[in-house]
Amino acid sequence: MSRETPVEGTSRPESPSENARDRPSRYELPQDIRPMSNARLGILVLLGAEMMLFSGLIGAFLVFRMGNITWPPPSHIDIQLPRAVTGINTAFLLLSGWTMFQALRAIQKDQVKQLRNWLLLTGALGVLFLGIQGSEWAQLIRSGMTLQSGVYGGIFYVLIGCHAVHVIGAVMWLVIVLVMAMAGRFSASRHVGVEICTIYWIFVVALWPMLYALVYLA
Amino acid sequence: MRLVFWGVVLMLVVLIVPTCLEACPACKDLKEPIGRGFNSSIFFMMAMPFTVVALIGGSVFYHYRRASKNRDRTDTP
Repeated sequence: MSRETPVEGTSRPESPSENARDRPSRYELPQDIRPMSNARLGILVLLGAEMMLFSGLIGAFLVFRMGNITWPPPSHIDIQLPRAVTGINTAFLLLSGWTMFQALRAIQKDQVKQLRNWLLLTGALGVLFLGIQGSEWAQLIRSGMTLQSGVYGGIFYVLIGCHAVHVIGAVMWLVIVLVMAMAGRFSASRHVGVEICTIYWIFVVALWPMLYALVYLA
Repeated sequence: MRLVFWGVVLMLVVLIVPTCLEACPACKDLKEPIGRGFNSSIFFMMAMPFTVVALIGGSVFYHYRRASKNRDRTDTP
């Protein structure tokens, strides 16, 4: 039986203008007695797991960073991380967090066209961030800092690379949300997909300044 | 009486033998840089489960309160 199929005797009269997607499913509790959607709770649990993953990686970084008297270690003393470019890149990523928030506000006001525009801009900023990160990595690899070149390179690529993988995942998720928005799947009363994507995106954005301060500036 | 006597002897032995004991398994030797690194890392990771639980619990509590307020507002004639 399909999810939207009404059960005999439980169907309610509907006005012709009512959109089928705006109508809550028969498996869902009414909005007024449902304090938090299952999707939102699920994304919070996922973010809890992500926080534990990154805390483990940051913990490993702290052991190496504080366990060495000189940082970078003497074997990598000539390698300079591109702090200025990454600082500008950080600004792009923070801006993408703001544009994503604007996308959510747009769909809350039922402005579907604005939602598409803000999602497109957010995705473009995410891709720009990844592009700049990629070019920085290429430059660092050319200068001799690789994953196997020592503990400095190893922890740098694992920590920053893990965040980059999360940004890639967030961009892919954003593309799916954008396609759904173009198909008219979201409205002011039904936009949980946009909401949980926004929560994930803002988590990825909020994590980056901490990693930047820890790895590039400390 | 003998029990009290041996109890006092045991207490004296414990008091006059100054052996350093590490009460906290999380604390490492802070004289070495690697010890400081491990210490910071352990304390950071120890704090994280509490942060995660507080984040999820706080968010659920906030949404529950907001839904209750909305319901009260709707019920009020």
